[in-house]
Amino acid sequence: MEKLIEYLPFLIPIVLLELLLMVIALVHIFKHENYRFGTRWLWIIIVVFIQIVGPIIYLTIGRSED
Amino acid sequence: MRGFFAFTKKEFREHFRTYRIIILAAVFFIFGMFSPLRAKMLPEIFSSLDMQGILINIPEPTYLDAYSQFFKNMTQIGLIVVLLVFSGMITNELTKGTLVIILSKGLPRHTVILSKYLVAVILWTISYAAAAVLNHVYTVYLFNQVSGEGVLFSLFCLWLFGVFMLAVIILASTITQGNYGGLLLSAGILILLMVLNMFPKCQRFNPVSLAANNAGLIANTVSVSDLVPTVWITVGLTALGILLSIFIFQEKQL
Repeated sequence: MEKLIEYLPFLIPIVLLELLLMVIALVHIFKHENYRFGTRWLWIIIVVFIQIVGPIIYLTIGRSED
Repeated sequence: MRGFFAFTKKEFREHFRTYRIIILAAVFFIFGMFSPLRAKMLPEIFSSLDMQGILINIPEPTYLDAYSQFFKNMTQIGLIVVLLVFSGMITNELTKGTLVIILSKGLPRHTVILSKYLVAVILWTISYAAAAVLNHVYTVYLFNQVSGEGVLFSLFCLWLFGVFMLAVIILASTITQGNYGGLLLSAGILILLMVLNMFPKCQRFNPVSLAANNAGLIANTVSVSDLVPTVWITVGLTALGILLSIFIFQEKQL
């Protein structure tokens, strides 16, 4: 276990990037009422629970045009 | 030429505004950092689990594991992300109607295709290079030894496959209409090529080989000369894809 903690400095930037994607997607979800398909709750679940790919799917094909 | 530069500048701004640049940067940074780390940590994750007396012996990971992890991530999720990000290249702007305005002001149609393709290739090249450099630095740091043979050519092959894939995407996006047409058609073409690659006779002529042998090239189980014809075929097919896109877009009713 100590060895895993040793790698923590390497893991932190990765986690931060994942969180960044998630936050960008969540902010967009809350600022918009309509999506190309799906509902707000569906997108929140996808973005929060599917790492990396969830926010990307929302921002590329789920997001409505501004 | 002035039209080309102005349109290219507009393209970059649009990619930024629609989050595409952020997505590419984040994903490729994550893969560059995570792949060697995962290869290094895997045995320790297993040993920290309580296996109830079952012994699992995992050989000490080497830089080869780091690189095969990197290529696995890149060829699976990495290329899917590229597909998602770029699949609406032409159709998005046609459905919004913004492209028609620019074209009616006298911008040649081939400029649109060439400029959009150029921007996509630049974005792919930068994000891929960043991922490759990060992966290499992390691998050298974590594993201390990397033998350089085959690494550069292997990285080049996957880069070229990405460039080919962008040509497929722009062609598919020119042919189809609507929001998801380009995405579905390019995914269909790529799946077809992957199925064809299961037949050994097709592998030599199939661009998919460039994304299937990367780990083998580094481990020296695949030799560079095997893939040289595939490289030229891929270059030819890419050029053909762009020319076809230009031709179809010239004829297309907007």
